[in-house]
Amino acid sequence: MKKPPLIFFNYNIIDYKMKIYYFFKKRYYWLLNAFSILYNEPNFFKVIERMCPVDISIENIKKEFDKAGYICDSEVIITVYLALKLEKPILIEGEPGVGKTELGKVLSQVFNTELIRLQCYEGLDENKALYEWNYQKQLLKIQLLKGSQYEQTLEEDLFSREYLLERPLLKAIQADKKVVLLIDEVDKTDEEFEAFLFELLSDFQVSVPELGTLTTGDIPIVVLTSNNERELSDGLKRRCIYLYLDYPSVEREVDIIKAKVPGIEDRLTQQIARAVNLIRQNAEIKKKPSIAETLDWARALLTLNQDSLDEKTIKQTMNILLKTKADLDSFYQHIGPVALDEYARSK
Amino acid sequence: MVRFTHLLRLSGIKIGSGEVIDALNTLQEIDISDRETVKTALRAVLVKRKGEREVFDRTFDLFFSPMEEKERQQMEHQKREEQKQEQMEQAEEDLTFDQQEMDLSEEEKLTYGQMPEEEKEKIKNYLDNAEQGMAREWEKSVKPMLEVVVKGALRRWMNQHKDEVDLQNFQHTGDDELDSILEDLGQNAPSREDQLMYEDMQNIDNKDIPKANQLIRKLARHLVTRITRRYKRSKKHQMLDLRRTIRENIRFGGTMFKLKYRSKKIQKPKLVLICDVSGSMSSYASFVLQFIYGIHSVLGQIETFIFSDNLERITPYFQPGSDFNQLMVDIMNKSKVWGGGTRLNKTLQTLQKEYSEAITGDAYIIILSDTKTEAPSETLEELLKIKKQAKDILWLNTLPEEEWANSKTTRIFQKHVKMYPSNTLSDVEKITRSKIFQ
Repeated sequence: MKKPPLIFFNYNIIDYKMKIYYFFKKRYYWLLNAFSILYNEPNFFKVIERMCPVDISIENIKKEFDKAGYICDSEVIITVYLALKLEKPILIEGEPGVGKTELGKVLSQVFNTELIRLQCYEGLDENKALYEWNYQKQLLKIQLLKGSQYEQTLEEDLFSREYLLERPLLKAIQADKKVVLLIDEVDKTDEEFEAFLFELLSDFQVSVPELGTLTTGDIPIVVLTSNNERELSDGLKRRCIYLYLDYPSVEREVDIIKAKVPGIEDRLTQQIARAVNLIRQNAEIKKKPSIAETLDWARALLTLNQDSLDEKTIKQTMNILLKTKADLDSFYQHIGPVALDEYARSK
Repeated sequence: MVRFTHLLRLSGIKIGSGEVIDALNTLQEIDISDRETVKTALRAVLVKRKGEREVFDRTFDLFFSPMEEKERQQMEHQKREEQKQEQMEQAEEDLTFDQQEMDLSEEEKLTYGQMPEEEKEKIKNYLDNAEQGMAREWEKSVKPMLEVVVKGALRRWMNQHKDEVDLQNFQHTGDDELDSILEDLGQNAPSREDQLMYEDMQNIDNKDIPKANQLIRKLARHLVTRITRRYKRSKKHQMLDLRRTIRENIRFGGTMFKLKYRSKKIQKPKLVLICDVSGSMSSYASFVLQFIYGIHSVLGQIETFIFSDNLERITPYFQPGSDFNQLMVDIMNKSKVWGGGTRLNKTLQTLQKEYSEAITGDAYIIILSDTKTEAPSETLEELLKIKKQAKDILWLNTLPEEEWANSKTTRIFQKHVKMYPSNTLSDVEKITRSKIFQ
């Protein structure tokens, strides 16, 4: 059986047939509505949308990512493309600050859809991630109806949707549109939760004992990130498309700085990228500067009206890149502002 | 595709059949004329670990190489196979005693084939002499004895020239193409990190020490994150605390408005490290200190002792931000016990007498030693005394696990404390991952 095609609501990513359809939908909404009444099919729009094949291509994704200001290698684009095509979760691993979470955010931006985020932590359980009954509200209801004639039907009422608190995972499953579900830092959870998670990710349905099985209409785009604090289980990995994000190369970082810090000079951009690269290569520095910190540094240098790096400025601004005393000490001991300046200037 | 995944499995990448199906689906979705796209796409579906990326890339390059390249590889492979065959034949021909072939393994024959001529000559001469000498008094039992001698000589030579000898001891698949690729993969061995993990720590080459040190500090950090993570867990809601809930809700007329939870209090385990730095442990000692340094740089509150013939407290040396090399020099210079003989019983006595405040009910005592100590039975007595006071005793034994059965002291202590092998980095890694602090 052929899978239903993907539906997105971003005009740039769909092909011309869909553009015509959307144009029609916008203009002659009443006509389509009339059809849907005529054929007794309330989800008329969905039926048409499902019938029209929409093709997303590697080039389109690249273009959209660039537009959203997320500069990355083709490896990232291909992986994202595959995950969308095969409808599988993307598991992203990498050092802190290489843009793992950002990828989820950008995906929701590109596909113009809601981002539902589940931040994982030690001790996260189903109550916090999936659903919980609203006990307080239930109790209030019991109190209100005590002794009244409705007491008989009370039990059915109490376990209806009204009293269900949706947590991120259920929200993503229940959404009527394709959403992006970002499960952040999945390595921080316990093994039990991880097992529960990969059950959920394989068939996207949950059973709530009182309500029955809840399934999803559109499989969400799932992005899992991990800081590699512990090895994830094979089961979870098997269900995902895997992407390892590394720190960007000098050229790539130059592109990123140019995209994110407008008005910065080319020469300074080059120097910043080279300097940061050198610092990251040093094994003694424990917390390597992230991309966000590089951008902060670039902005700081721009504010100081610098058009090129020099020893004094490096000394003054190094605390933007390195945030601990130990790292600053190792920087002065193993690299030093003079050598950094020289390296950054060299071609 | 199936052959390619088979090859990946042989080179150590874990691939399930689900992933193979994914890979096949992938190929339908992408432009398969673009080599880089195919490579990236297959990598995304098949490789799920950072360390496996390199192996995948090399396997891909070799497997999907152009025809000419492939032919060249196969030619080389055949040539090597022929050469190997020749070496084997030569060994069989040379190493005979009274026209009878010696009972040698394939590996030993290959080793012989790769020895330089003069070494071969020595063995041959030895055998010839033996043959002539024995020719008059014929005894059948001599052959096995000669075999032992020859085998010993071969092994000695091999150990000395470990890096040069090519023994090709990978599994043969029976498929020439796959074999030739596997061989290539084996020759350009992957990053040394994996190998270092399985190397006995005292055998690690000088040039690999910095890398090993980095690994060991990483492991220490992993261990510490595990410990601290468990501490944070106390916030988790687990069970309803009925007594407190009722008391809290009396003001609402007994209706349960506010629920109170009982949460499990898990405390950060207190660690007391006792490390052997006696003569027999000297080759491990620098790694031991690295490990402690790694733990201290993150946690900074572990009581640390070193011992040989007596105990010495070294916790004050580990100040935050101190340089490791300086610290090492300091400890080695000032310590009175560095490199001495091992008297664990006295050590443990000192621990109880002078540092009794360290042994509390929630403390894990971690002993890092090869168990080779004087007076084992007295030591055991002291150990049991400490075990009663502390939460538990964990023993990290640097003796390889297969030698445990032969070591009398290990056998004695093993019955009473939890003992973990830790003579390679991968052992240490296993410990940091297991749930020993429970």
